[in-house]
Amino acid sequence: MAGLAQVFGFGAMTNHQNDIRNSRSVMIIGMNPAENHPISMQHILTAKEVNRAVIISVDPRFTKTSAFANIYCRLRSGTDIPFIYGLINIILANGWEDKKMVNERTYDFEALKAEVAKFDAATVADITGVSKEQLFQVAKAMADNRPGTVIWAMGGTQHSNGTAVVRTYCHLQLVLGNMGRPGGGCDVFRGHDSIQGVTDIGGGPETLPGYYGIAETAWKHWSKVWDVPYEWMLSRFKSKEMMEKPGFTVARWYEGVLLDPKELGQDTNIKAVFFMGHSTNSMSQMDRVKRALEKVELIVDFDPFVTNTAVLPDRTDGIYVMPAATNYEQWCSSTNTNRDLQWRQRVVDPVFEARTDLAILIDLAERLGFKKQFIKNMKGSWKGVPASMKEVKALPEQTIDDVLREVNMGTLSIGYIGQTPERLKRQQQWAHVFDIKTKKAVGGPVDGEQWGLPWPCWHDKHPGTSILYRTDIPVAQGGSGFRALWGPKAPDGQTMLAAEGSAPAGGPNAGYPAQKEYATDLTRGAIKEAMAEGRHPYGNGRARFNSWNIPDPVPTHREPIHSPRPDLIAKWPTYDDVKEHYRVPQPYKSMQKPEWAKQYPIVLTTGRIVELEGGSAAERADWWLVELNPEMYVEIHPKLANDHGIKNGDWVWIESPEDMDGKPSRIKVKAKVTKRVGPDTVFLPYHWGGVFEGKSLASKYPEGTAPYSVGESANTVTNYGYDRVTQMQETKTGLCRIKKA
Amino acid sequence: MTLRRVRVSETLRTSPVATLNPLMDRRKFLKSAGVGLGVGAAGSLVSSPIFREASAKAEPPKLEQYKTICTNCAVGCGFIAEVKDGVWVSQEPWFEHPINQGSLCAKGAAARSKVVSEKRLRYPMKLVGGKWQRISWDQGMSEITAKLQDVRKKHGPDALHFNFSAHQSNENGFAVRKWAAMWGTNNVDFQARI
Repeated sequence: MAGLAQVFGFGAMTNHQNDIRNSRSVMIIGMNPAENHPISMQHILTAKEVNRAVIISVDPRFTKTSAFANIYCRLRSGTDIPFIYGLINIILANGWEDKKMVNERTYDFEALKAEVAKFDAATVADITGVSKEQLFQVAKAMADNRPGTVIWAMGGTQHSNGTAVVRTYCHLQLVLGNMGRPGGGCDVFRGHDSIQGVTDIGGGPETLPGYYGIAETAWKHWSKVWDVPYEWMLSRFKSKEMMEKPGFTVARWYEGVLLDPKELGQDTNIKAVFFMGHSTNSMSQMDRVKRALEKVELIVDFDPFVTNTAVLPDRTDGIYVMPAATNYEQWCSSTNTNRDLQWRQRVVDPVFEARTDLAILIDLAERLGFKKQFIKNMKGSWKGVPASMKEVKALPEQTIDDVLREVNMGTLSIGYIGQTPERLKRQQQWAHVFDIKTKKAVGGPVDGEQWGLPWPCWHDKHPGTSILYRTDIPVAQGGSGFRALWGPKAPDGQTMLAAEGSAPAGGPNAGYPAQKEYATDLTRGAIKEAMAEGRHPYGNGRARFNSWNIPDPVPTHREPIHSPRPDLIAKWPTYDDVKEHYRVPQPYKSMQKPEWAKQYPIVLTTGRIVELEGGSAAERADWWLVELNPEMYVEIHPKLANDHGIKNGDWVWIESPEDMDGKPSRIKVKAKVTKRVGPDTVFLPYHWGGVFEGKSLASKYPEGTAPYSVGESANTVTNYGYDRVTQMQETKTGLCRIKKA
Repeated sequence: MTLRRVRVSETLRTSPVATLNPLMDRRKFLKSAGVGLGVGAAGSLVSSPIFREASAKAEPPKLEQYKTICTNCAVGCGFIAEVKDGVWVSQEPWFEHPINQGSLCAKGAAARSKVVSEKRLRYPMKLVGGKWQRISWDQGMSEITAKLQDVRKKHGPDALHFNFSAHQSNENGFAVRKWAAMWGTNNVDFQARI
């Protein structure tokens, strides 16, 4: 997401799943939609059948998606950048680039050209394992079959240089001219049902809702929306400095428990940890997570099911498991991968003693003394709800509407304005009038609207923007240029505004900066003014080949921290160590040890399978799904298995390098001998939990709550490594060794 | 007497949705989706007759239908949940849904189990001396908040870390970030980066 934002201005999928029906080529890299986003395959396969689209699957593993592809490239995990640069090199050498797009809508193409020149086909073949001939075949297929889309997921991002990898995918699409048009785009597929929504209007440790950041202006904006004095908000924090300093992330919060406070970016360890719908088995460095869960004073897990968190640590007290309701037990909206907001009707009341997250949060706020401030904008619907939240299981529908209205009011930055509860509910009842290919309504009261009112949706008559950065339609119909996020000029003096002739139809036919204060003017006057003139509130800028404000301004190849090719580390080393990143020290070079490739010669990669998802506390508690995929396993190539004396179904130990603790981590799993993986790589699904280093934890669950299937967590052996920009964990490229158990 | 083939659960519904997929009878669907193996209300649906008189006139009891969105991956498939007497008894395809046109994967077809699974955590519990002990919500929340206040007094608001979830709804995710802001920390994150 950060990669996309650094190039185009927004961290979001640019087109939509249905729009793949308009594609003539589809490159799927570091992703397996046939298992991870199964229903999206309908659109991909329609493109293949109806448009004769070329499907290209690029993955270290021959996945179920690869089985549908016209071209399959087996790429060594973590070498995406050389692969993409190899393609761009071929495209440029043959003059296949889209010169209009590059000249009029991008910044610093020369810098990119200089970098890609280093990656001739022979170099690419050496680093990635993809042959010169195949590389040419892919480049030609993409160039001959436009528009084409590039789709990726965690296979592209979970690397120590993940943000850089994503930027090169974007660069490829800019060079091919595939941006801002139906059938093209950068279609990152996201993982959870509302991950785009929670990214947009939740926000992590570095930002408030709506990507406002956590600088003073952001706090002042949200204080105003939440109707509380900024000074009160400030008084809640330790200091202004801590208020404006990014916090710990899910990837490394446990170091905040384990490390000496002197090494941390705050003066105290974490003493209490809350989980709300989050399993610990999706976090790498599981042995350290376990130790943190043993050291911390209080663990509270709000979840419909008992997760790995409750059973992983060896401790005798200090854990609370509190039953939360699922999203089926409440009214709510969620935002899917392509920015569509969809309304959920409540199916049943919360079952047993379960409570909805909102009810829990208000109850906590009440007991901690800030309920009055917390519910201020929910006042209108407060009638009918008792003054005390102590016995309340769920809030009425109007309260959920009020929360969404508060979102509409405050999230001006990305246009979460027109997605009112009334419109979402109306769309739900008129679903049948939306066209499958364009997702646009034909007739009825929703005529012209895009399904899900994808953001930016600037007012309650705006149809939403189903394809970002599209200039052939007016802003009022969902047109936009690239976001003018970086001011009118780059540090080198070049313009960051689009050239004349490249602007959304119907407005000024040139680049222009963002409308002043459009994101903070709660009267929405600034937005109205821009719309009236046919200008896009966030401006019409240029996409960046050179992101000067982050590490590796122009992406370059860096070997994974745990590289199986020590000979390449000298030429393509990882980053220098970082003293503080999200409040923890983050070593790179000092962790990249060439000798590890000798002791741990096999590449370790992880992923999802169709029957389960994430930490899978819920899916493994479902016996139909468990019956379909009952136990944890490792995929091993026949040669690797035979060389180790391992047969299909044998138990094997997988051991990974002694990163932080001076001892290897290990898991015991069953072997699935298959040619899906190459002889240098093993694959682990990461959904299991409830077994740690060969020992079952099933007896530690509260009676009757242990899932039908427990198994080792892949993340016990995924290696140390985090993205230089986002701190995303490097689970897709590690090293390991195997032996028969 | 004319016999016609009817869906096993027809006696329970009048919805137009019921007639949308004539190729698959209810029993086959239940079998393939595994629903018939479930506990409680769903189990009783399977024993109805497959054939009955075409002229049957008795007004069948209604199932309430709710349109919802699958809570697994980010594709955003819609389906229709059916409820009888407050119990979620079955799922039907939402054929007009613009993204999935009625189809679901294994997880979506098993969505109901997220609510009816017998493995659900039914009441609050806490670990005491290595044993799980049932407690009330009130006891749990008052102990948790007392401990939090204590931690805040001794170590400040940054001694709490809150891992929330991309499986939460927009409204709940927004509320968590707001809650953390009003508690006074930026130590709050969810799965986007993992």
